[in-house]
Amino acid sequence: MTWHVDESDLRAYARGELAAPALWSADAHLTACAHCRGVLAGVSDPAALDAGWERLDAELDAPRPGWFEGLLVRCGVGDGTARLLAATPVLRRSWLGAVAAVLLTTFLVACSAAATGTPTLFLAVAPLLPLASVALAYGPALDPAYEMAVVSPTHGFRLLMIRTVAVLSVALGVGGLASLAMPGYGLRALAWLLPGLALTATGLALTPRLGPVVAPSVVAGAWGAVLLAADAARQSGDGLAPFTAAGQGVSGAVAVLGAGLLFLLRDRFDVSARGVA
Amino acid sequence: MTCTVSASGLSLSFGRTRALDEVSLRLTPGVTGLLGPNGAGKTTLLRVLATAVPPDRGAFTVLGHDPGSARGRQEVRRRLGYLPQTPGFHPGFTAFEFVDYVAVLKEMTGRAARHREVRRVLEEVGLGEVRGRKIKKLSGGMRQRVALAAALVGDPGFLVLDEPTVGLDPEQRMRFRELIAGAGETRTVLLSTHQTEDVAMLCHRVVVMAAGAVRFDGTPAELTARAAGRVWSSRTRDAGAKAGWRTGDGSFRNVGDPPEGAEPVEPTLEDGYLLVLDGAGVDAEVAA
Repeated sequence: MTWHVDESDLRAYARGELAAPALWSADAHLTACAHCRGVLAGVSDPAALDAGWERLDAELDAPRPGWFEGLLVRCGVGDGTARLLAATPVLRRSWLGAVAAVLLTTFLVACSAAATGTPTLFLAVAPLLPLASVALAYGPALDPAYEMAVVSPTHGFRLLMIRTVAVLSVALGVGGLASLAMPGYGLRALAWLLPGLALTATGLALTPRLGPVVAPSVVAGAWGAVLLAADAARQSGDGLAPFTAAGQGVSGAVAVLGAGLLFLLRDRFDVSARGVA
Repeated sequence: MTCTVSASGLSLSFGRTRALDEVSLRLTPGVTGLLGPNGAGKTTLLRVLATAVPPDRGAFTVLGHDPGSARGRQEVRRRLGYLPQTPGFHPGFTAFEFVDYVAVLKEMTGRAARHREVRRVLEEVGLGEVRGRKIKKLSGGMRQRVALAAALVGDPGFLVLDEPTVGLDPEQRMRFRELIAGAGETRTVLLSTHQTEDVAMLCHRVVVMAAGAVRFDGTPAELTARAAGRVWSSRTRDAGAKAGWRTGDGSFRNVGDPPEGAEPVEPTLEDGYLLVLDGAGVDAEVAA
């Protein structure tokens, strides 16, 4: 060997700080030069080397994440957050349930629209999907490790929000796709969105008081009552009040109020529901 | 000795049921046993001390932090390990993944350090070799050890264990006792159990609860001493005994106030426990 890598370059190489193309040159040279490998061993920090091996060992030793968790990580979700989301099987089931429900709703819409010429049934049912999805993603009866999660230093409200955002993203996305499948109705096909957010926020805000099952049930019942009342009050040929401009305004206001109330009650999610053993 | 947990006047009701009634106690490093019949309030006390539910009245501190405030509660939880009575698992997870999930909940965000800690606790409970196996394929004893490993993540100073040996066979129970004893060497452990043998073998202190209140608080030797001179042997069942049962040699072991001329025998921790419950108005026959 007629030449050797400069010692300062070897030190940088040992620290992982040597940049290309000197890095490539050093890589190729070290495979063939025992002298430089000896110098490299002398200038390497044993502690850093051990830490590197330990990191490598940990990476090789860690089990491969499941497809769902792997997908979340590939989509840019942090590995810890991905683990939190993957830890709730019911979350995945609720997603599938939401997808199936939306597809079914779309089918019903197609049938009803053919008969009535309006998307009213779709608009009435679609807001319940995010409400139901979020309700199924949280709660002592649905999370097998709920008790362990409650006494962890991760705030219960933060955990709830992580799951809620994930579920809402899918439920609203799928609902949006269903709306796009009805281009003939224009923006009217999106009139379920604000009522859906209003129902979800109200359902979550009532959860600390009524529990994770009764609260969304009460909200869903109230939504049904509002629709029946609106149907009874409307004039022939008018749309249902919740899907008019004024109704959308009310839904938006309820959504904001519900979100505000939810934020004020956030500490109530940090302890277990009473009576849950 | 340093006091890890200090509780005063803890009370909690569920509807008309008074689950905790003015409970006061202090816990120090080592294993403290919590004995009591079903419905005594053991699990409720553990859930309160684990910050899962707040008490209606009373206050307590854990390692100097007051869980009455959101900030204090978070500080307590950072130093807490909790094994609930019926730990739930995500069945699709492996042992490693489940403990890793709990580590994420315990704010361990650095992947390499977290995985190192998960491997450490799984090795500590003897599950290093099966860490990649799905939880649903593990035995009941192994699942309990997974839950214990999850509780040990982050090296908590206060460990709350709610009946961890229930449903385990004798060999698994012995293995679990070794683990609890090891955990209690450096921490404060509160162990709820129905098994007086667990207390006799593991605990430096024992608390007996009945009807939501503390009925005894002392050493196992002091609890055993409660039965000194109040346990006797007889050839037939003694109608005056608070509790009595036929032993393996055919004689009857009686606990209560001995009649004239009774043949006294050496009391056990269980005898003392039964007499404490009897004094609290709990039927000793039922408790036995």
